[in-house]
Amino acid sequence: MMDEQFDFKQKYRNLLLILIAGGILVSLAAIFISKPGPSRIWANVLLNNQYFMGLSLGAAFFLAVHRVAQSGWHTVLQRLPDAMTTFLPVAFVLMLLIYFGIHNLYSWTDNNVSDKVIEGKKAWLNIPFFFIRIVIYFTGWIVLTRMMRKNSTALMISSDLKYHNRKILFAGLYLVFYGITVSASSWDWIMSLDAHWYSTLFGWYVLIGMFVTSLAFITLLIWLLKRLGYLKYVRADHVHDMAILIFAFSIFWTYQWFAQYELIWYGHLPEETSYYITRLHHFKVIFFINLGVNFIVPFFGLITFKAKRQIGWVAIVAAVVLIGHWLDYWLMIMPAAAGDKAGIGLLEICMTLVYGCLFIFIVLRSLSTGPLVVKNDPYLEESLNYES
Amino acid sequence: MLQSPLRTPLIEGSKSYGSITSDILNPMMNKAGKFWYMGMTIAGLAMLFGVFMIFWTVWQGIGTWGENRTVGWAFEITTFVWWIGIGHAGTFISAILLLFRQKWRNSINRSAEAMTIFAVICAALFPLIHLGRPLLTFFIFPYPNTRGLWVNFNSPLVWDVFAISTYFTISLVFWYVGLIPDIGTLRDKIKKGLKKNIYNFLSFGWKGSARGWHRHEITSIMLAAIATPLVLSVHSIVSMDFASSIVPGWHTTIFPPYFVAGAIFSGFAMVQTLLIITRKTMGLEDFITESHVENMNKILIATGSIVALAYMTEMFMSWYSGNEYEHYAFMNRATGPYWWAYVIMIGCNVFSSQLLWIKKLRKSLVFTFLLSIVINIGMWFERFVIIVTSLHRDYLTSSWTMYKPTIVEFGLLIGTLGIFFTAFLLFIRIFPVISISEVKSILKTGTRHQQKTDLSHDTTE
Amino acid sequence: MIQRNNILISFDDEVPLLQAVRKLRDNKEIITDVLSPFPVHGLDEALSIKRSRIPVVGFIFGAIGALLAFGFQAWVFTVSYPLIIGGKPFFSVPTFIPITFEVTVLFAGLSMVAAMLIRSKLKPEIRFEPVEERITDDRFVILVEAEDEETTLSRIRSLLSGIHTIEIR
Repeated sequence: MMDEQFDFKQKYRNLLLILIAGGILVSLAAIFISKPGPSRIWANVLLNNQYFMGLSLGAAFFLAVHRVAQSGWHTVLQRLPDAMTTFLPVAFVLMLLIYFGIHNLYSWTDNNVSDKVIEGKKAWLNIPFFFIRIVIYFTGWIVLTRMMRKNSTALMISSDLKYHNRKILFAGLYLVFYGITVSASSWDWIMSLDAHWYSTLFGWYVLIGMFVTSLAFITLLIWLLKRLGYLKYVRADHVHDMAILIFAFSIFWTYQWFAQYELIWYGHLPEETSYYITRLHHFKVIFFINLGVNFIVPFFGLITFKAKRQIGWVAIVAAVVLIGHWLDYWLMIMPAAAGDKAGIGLLEICMTLVYGCLFIFIVLRSLSTGPLVVKNDPYLEESLNYES
Repeated sequence: MLQSPLRTPLIEGSKSYGSITSDILNPMMNKAGKFWYMGMTIAGLAMLFGVFMIFWTVWQGIGTWGENRTVGWAFEITTFVWWIGIGHAGTFISAILLLFRQKWRNSINRSAEAMTIFAVICAALFPLIHLGRPLLTFFIFPYPNTRGLWVNFNSPLVWDVFAISTYFTISLVFWYVGLIPDIGTLRDKIKKGLKKNIYNFLSFGWKGSARGWHRHEITSIMLAAIATPLVLSVHSIVSMDFASSIVPGWHTTIFPPYFVAGAIFSGFAMVQTLLIITRKTMGLEDFITESHVENMNKILIATGSIVALAYMTEMFMSWYSGNEYEHYAFMNRATGPYWWAYVIMIGCNVFSSQLLWIKKLRKSLVFTFLLSIVINIGMWFERFVIIVTSLHRDYLTSSWTMYKPTIVEFGLLIGTLGIFFTAFLLFIRIFPVISISEVKSILKTGTRHQQKTDLSHDTTE
Repeated sequence: MIQRNNILISFDDEVPLLQAVRKLRDNKEIITDVLSPFPVHGLDEALSIKRSRIPVVGFIFGAIGALLAFGFQAWVFTVSYPLIIGGKPFFSVPTFIPITFEVTVLFAGLSMVAAMLIRSKLKPEIRFEPVEERITDDRFVILVEAEDEETTLSRIRSLLSGIHTIEIR
């Protein structure tokens, strides 16, 4: 049991690859038929980059917080979020591709000297610095998550506690770097889509959304692996704690959503309200579905004691949360990037499918490279006997 | 529940259930030492000074304060927010650490929660005395009246009324529910006399029955579950007193979570201040161990870093926004006439707390104690900087003034410190400072007992 | 107070307590109550105590609080005395939320505590005589119902002979 390893069978690999290929083809067809315009296409690239990169970063955040807090219960699960962080190099390349669509997405890339506000921001919003920052963000994220992962997997073979201590050190460094860069990257990639608008809460709002999404994805991975017969030692007690986290941080996300909305509504300053007016007037349905799905479903779905302990039910709620936060990113990105042309159609679904299958492929492949449980982790016994 | 041998014990020394009871109760049932009397004298004097200043304020009027037309809020709101913030650590320890199953909280939650109640009392004084006509304070509550008037539910100040009343009530109830079993212990330890009758009355007839414990545990967990969003909401609502305005430097969406992080930061600092002294003077070092102090330091550095991140975000955004008023507000903070307050704020909050990355400092009791005081000074100045620098120079340059506090306002600040410490010193003589039953429940898992015995308990010792 | 003959068995540790509880229940003895100085992990399952419904009480009263608070604010601002404040609409949902939330929490918390006190029959009283003084200190007690004291006493003594008890009376 200790040495069980995930077998990434050829048929699953083929299925995912076929879905990726098919998705790309249908996306191209959708572009050809409905002619959504380059803004919407590039907005989709950005949206999916952000979403799936966010899954990796949020997974690392989950690990980092637990490791720094010396939490024991999550130890039996740690290979799952560790595997999720392996997507980051791919995300790096995909984000660099934005270069080709940068004029379709960001209005500050035009040399429009008459817009004084944007002129004033040129020191930060210029193309070279923009890409230097992308390199800084991803280099830091990839290096730190890799160091966390390496020191964790080293404990599969060695029992030397120095790996454990190093793992915690890199967790702390990651938290500091992540806190700063997730804020800055969200300003760069999402907030600057409408370069006149700003909100100091924005970075933290994105951070929490990232975290909840990653929690949901980890939970779905647990469900999937248990379905396939693995992870028999992950019990209702562990599921309970994942459910508590999804419950609590969904409420925290809602609180952030409300804080941003309420203060901008209350101040009624045109330079701030423009953000919400666009979304409330043109995308009202999605606006309220976003709030409903990301708050009502996890709140009422996971409020009872019993509900939190059944992996099947929690997985359903997790799936809904995953879709819900995709919608949240859509609302942040699409109205600003694509304007009138924004919509949810075949293009969006297929591109998300392509990204999703790619993400799952990379994660499952990383999972299959070693035992599912880190044998010599000092907190493993505690985790296996965890009661909640 | 199995614990990894890597974990430091939560309770030091080889204790039994009986020795836990006596270790915690003896210091409070025995005569008070001279440190207690010294502390009471100083705190009592400060409190009397403050009470006189309150009387002076109410008698002579708000004119005895330094506020003027432009700077309508200064010392009092600063101190108000400071106290509410301090209170939040108690709820964080009681509620949030309970939900995250952090067992080390069991020996510190009782005093932390008491600290919350006293801090909220100190804070609640200010809404009472800062009104022009304190006798009409009840106007802030919505009651049916002959004028047909209601309060302005749209105003964050009214939200404050509800938030702080709720916070005080729930904190008090949470603290007391946890206290009931321990009052039972006190009641049974004291053989006869007036004290026994009083504790008898307060213990609500607690007998320790299994069903009683079951309900007690569930109620505690549920109270923790609702106290968590409560603590977030209360300080967010307090922050909305500022953020819902359009004053530059105030109207910024990050205020709610930033204030909450700052509150937990200063609150934990105050807990460290109180507990480092209490554990020494009451001989409770075996329960409030050095690793407890270190864990609290870790939370200090986490929340301190979040506060630092918020400072950076605000500063960046003030430039990025392109809003000249917002930009000036921040330039003024750093380079204007109150630059020295800004330096104190950044120095005491950011630089000092980052020192905790160094393991040796994190484990040092002396450093922690000094740092905790420094942090609280820094957090007071943070609120001062936010409030006064934004108000004294906002949109209309002809309205720019300076603010100077009067002795009455200083007296109020000192007075609330006096009330707080007096209340805390009285508390440690009346109720057990550590939650006896909760510490007993972690005796087996939290000490070396567990690591020695095997898991099968067929035979007894 | 119903006077019932009870056999009292006391222990100094929760491990023998749990063993004794399981043995007594296997033997179909009726356990009136188990007293301990702290909540013993595993005791709820051993005694088959059903999970309390106090959280349900909290949820219901919280919902009532939410409706009351929101409804009241809405009524005040739209029917009773509508005022234009800061250009905001009369039915301003965002500003009603903070107070609604606080009242929800208040109602939920107080109702759960009240439910706990009422169900456990806890109230301030002048005189309380504990069954065993050290219950709140370091003793654990099982109270077993006994119609006939003598026979039950000897039966229990033999049943629990392998377990470390302090006193059986």
